[in-house]
Amino acid sequence: MTNEIGENGGAYKGFGAEWNASQLSADEARRATDWVEAKIDKRALLTTKERKEDVRDVMWQLEKEGEILVHRVGDHNDPIIAKTLYGWDKKIPTNNLWHHKSCGQCGNIPGYPTSVLWLMNKLGTKYLDETDQTSCTAWNYHGSGIGNVVSLAAVFLRNFHQAYVSAKSQGLPEGTYYPLVHCGTSFGNYKEMRHFLLHSAELREEVKKILGKLGRLIDGKLLIPEEIVHYSEWLHVVRNRLKEHQVIDVSNLRATVHPACHVYKMVPEDVIYDDQVLDGNRVAVTTGVLQTLGANVVDYSTWYDCCGFGFRHIIGEREFTRSFTIDRKIKVAVEEAKADVMIGHDTGCITTLDKNQWIGKAVDKVYALPIMADCQFTALALGAHPYKLAQLHWHASPFENLLEKMGIDWEKAKAEFTDYLEEVKQGRIETLYDPKRAITSGPGYVKPKVLAGGE
Amino acid sequence: MSKPVLVVGGGPAGLSAARALADAGQAVVLVDKEDRLGGAPILSGYAKLVPSHEWAKDAIGGMVSGVEGHKMVTVKTGTKVDKFDGDPGNFVATLSDGSKVEASATILATGFTHFDSVNKPEWGFGTYPDVVTTTQVEQMLSTGAGVKCPSDGREPERVAILLCVGSRDRQIGREWCSKICCTVSANLAMEIREQLPNCNVYIYYMDIRTFGLYEGEYYWASQEEHKVKYIKARIAEVTSDGKRLLVKGEDTLVKRPISIPFDMVVHAVGMDPNVDNMTLSAIFNVDLNKYGYIGKPSTYAHMSETSRPGVFVAGAATGPETIDDSIAQGKAAAIAALISASSTVREAAE
Amino acid sequence: MGVHPQIADPVSPAPQVSREKLEEIFDDIRGHAVYHHEIHGCLNCGICTATCPSAHYYDYSPREIVQLLWTENLEGIYDAMQEKIWACAQCYTCAARCPFENSPGGLVMIMREVAIKHDMESAKEVLRPFSRVLLKVISTGNQLAPNMITKEAFPDWGPNVSKVDAPLNILRKAIPMPTMHTLDTAWIVNLKTSVELYSIWEATGVLDQLETVDENLFDVVSDVMDEKREEWEDWLEEQEDEDDEDDDD
Repeated sequence: MTNEIGENGGAYKGFGAEWNASQLSADEARRATDWVEAKIDKRALLTTKERKEDVRDVMWQLEKEGEILVHRVGDHNDPIIAKTLYGWDKKIPTNNLWHHKSCGQCGNIPGYPTSVLWLMNKLGTKYLDETDQTSCTAWNYHGSGIGNVVSLAAVFLRNFHQAYVSAKSQGLPEGTYYPLVHCGTSFGNYKEMRHFLLHSAELREEVKKILGKLGRLIDGKLLIPEEIVHYSEWLHVVRNRLKEHQVIDVSNLRATVHPACHVYKMVPEDVIYDDQVLDGNRVAVTTGVLQTLGANVVDYSTWYDCCGFGFRHIIGEREFTRSFTIDRKIKVAVEEAKADVMIGHDTGCITTLDKNQWIGKAVDKVYALPIMADCQFTALALGAHPYKLAQLHWHASPFENLLEKMGIDWEKAKAEFTDYLEEVKQGRIETLYDPKRAITSGPGYVKPKVLAGGE
Repeated sequence: MSKPVLVVGGGPAGLSAARALADAGQAVVLVDKEDRLGGAPILSGYAKLVPSHEWAKDAIGGMVSGVEGHKMVTVKTGTKVDKFDGDPGNFVATLSDGSKVEASATILATGFTHFDSVNKPEWGFGTYPDVVTTTQVEQMLSTGAGVKCPSDGREPERVAILLCVGSRDRQIGREWCSKICCTVSANLAMEIREQLPNCNVYIYYMDIRTFGLYEGEYYWASQEEHKVKYIKARIAEVTSDGKRLLVKGEDTLVKRPISIPFDMVVHAVGMDPNVDNMTLSAIFNVDLNKYGYIGKPSTYAHMSETSRPGVFVAGAATGPETIDDSIAQGKAAAIAALISASSTVREAAE
Repeated sequence: MGVHPQIADPVSPAPQVSREKLEEIFDDIRGHAVYHHEIHGCLNCGICTATCPSAHYYDYSPREIVQLLWTENLEGIYDAMQEKIWACAQCYTCAARCPFENSPGGLVMIMREVAIKHDMESAKEVLRPFSRVLLKVISTGNQLAPNMITKEAFPDWGPNVSKVDAPLNILRKAIPMPTMHTLDTAWIVNLKTSVELYSIWEATGVLDQLETVDENLFDVVSDVMDEKREEWEDWLEEQEDEDDEDDDD
């Protein structure tokens, strides 16, 4: 990290690396920080579960009473333990994962999920991407007010039940796959719904009635997930394994992170904070993987601000969305942090930050900041094709500038992609996994040989 | 005469209890896990105290020498109690140095722990060097180092003090008011203004609780005489634009969010239960209250009692407490222990 | 926004919205399943408004919403439901910050639900641009589809949807995830999945909500649902036939 800005522009800039040396004498400095150092590891000790409820304790109790069944992160999911805000443990599964896709990503930023799957292929991770899944419908609920706690909770448990039983279509045992939630809105919503479900017998009763009719109970009980896991958490815990496959140096890049509200502000006690990342003072995901890959993560004053998405605003009140995103995020990242890129980890944020820059031209606010998800950036650093795989052509922001800084010949890559489109027209399509696996029931389902033979 | 009374903790409450017992002719063993007596005001390097405006090392230092020099008091610093058995009149405490103390009663004056601001990361402590705690500003003043921004040693022109850091906050499971921070902050603000007359000091508050007589001397005086500004707003986040700290608050008069630049932000940290309370609870077999402080079953009739007969408690071990009230409680606990000790002696004689 | 019915006409002593109606609305808010989870008290500290994105651009303050509810200011609540509650961006930063663990964002959601239930004009107006999305999410279970992102729908998003010019269906097929080789939904949704979702909508009153805000849209959605259900029934029958044939073998 350079000292340029630090020297000219004031006391300090960015996280850690750019602090100027303190002018205090050694003795003064020791006195001023002794107390801090003595206490810095006490996060876990100070906010214990006696003081803040861990909803999982309620969950274990309800399971003991026979009220619910818990879908556990099993040994076959190769869990890695991460630490959350108060130092509690969260089990992050890293194998046999069921992709809970995001409608905003799949509809609008398809390179987002393809990057996740491509990275999993790199690591040899088993997964299932199937068609028996709906959106969480929370985008709609937050935007319009159509929907309610019961419908959201029922959709949540229906999708998660399918994740639990999905492996049967492949002749594998129930519970093989563990859901990995791609979307931040779904992630926040599901955590909130789990909280309501565990605290309200009435809600459980209503949802149970509905899921019973759908045949979505296990032994007559609601199935509740032990952990609700966001893909960015998976990316965080496997970041060092991914680094082994890195082929592109990113140490010349200044990256700003936009953390997503529904990822880390909702149910904050369940969010990963890692002492290795920003001293555990801010959410670790995304910043952790960027730093592991060697990028310079730079702080900026509106780091805590939302993106301006607003759920309904991006559709019905776009003046708000674009004003907020340009003035409070893009402009600040460019002018204050001199960022080369802004990296996020949620659907709505990436869309908002990416698509709303173009209109800035109309009011002379041209900042041209490339926007992408952490998994896309990681895939690029690991050598993924920027168009065929990272699908950057769907992005409106000038990602080409970033690719040039990374030493990627985007014009050549674009030409390759155009050639590939000709292949696609001929029906020669490359996919990340065997397409037959995507359909697990109903029209188009092909039973695997093991199952067909068993009949 | 009965066996000595064991006093655990050598802060204001413990010093007061030990001195009172000793002056009454009762032998005392005073243990403290730290290498010196004085408790938080000495160990954390407080500057001038409320309400006397005396320097902590003079005020509490005087209490320490009064106890250390007393012939009825045996002081054991760098020592903890590992085991505590027996009944009123016949307790046996095993200390960490291996020695045993036979005691008629014991007083827990085990104090509190400063709230650790890393639990509120959005307020910038640990991320920005110029975000400090009231304790650190006390140290800047008491060591003579002066109030300076830790990042580059410059004297701040604008200082924000944020109240209720680690207090009155359900987000982190701390619903209590720490009682002292409003007054301490007003006091600190005046001291900063005295030292740096060109520095503007702002205090961001939810409510101001400079209770009782502190209202005139601290809340009003800080405004009238020292021009400290009070703003009713709880700060949402502290960030930086690379030059100065930015404090995000609401202008509650016009209902608008605003960002205000500062050179230094001070967290008025609250009082947490002593981090060792779980251990103390197990060793002395006393109950904690729901907040994690040492519980007092009775408010009026037996104010110093814990859930275990013969074990008394005083000061901030029981909840957020001022220094002067801790001293008063130390004396009250001393009387309770004396009564307990003499009654067990009397019973034994009968 | 259009003309809102006023709480009270300044020259007429009679309120235009009756006290009974105001109470009914408030009772629905207070009686909501999660109301008491979202509000516990208020110290007026302003931390919610301090961190609120919408407060930067609208006459909207989460602190005001909480205060209106906490003090049971029925007229103020009604007024806020006309416009202000729709300003909230639903980021829930307010909830993450409130020392009382209130959730102003969650309270806004309750008020939005109640505004819909009471057929308030504000809800209808606000949801007009949302109708395409509502149709999509309720009939398919997918909120967003590739063919909804067009230059016409989002003229402010730049000159092209994709920086590589090709027909949308070819671009979609060039995405290496087979589930995404579709235009009408973000991913191909299994027929059975949609049918299951319809049962959830029916059982939870979501379709009633839709009918209240947009009857035409409700009719369209109902037609789509009927079609898909028939399709599913047909498939099930086919399967039975096939099974019978299998048995005959």
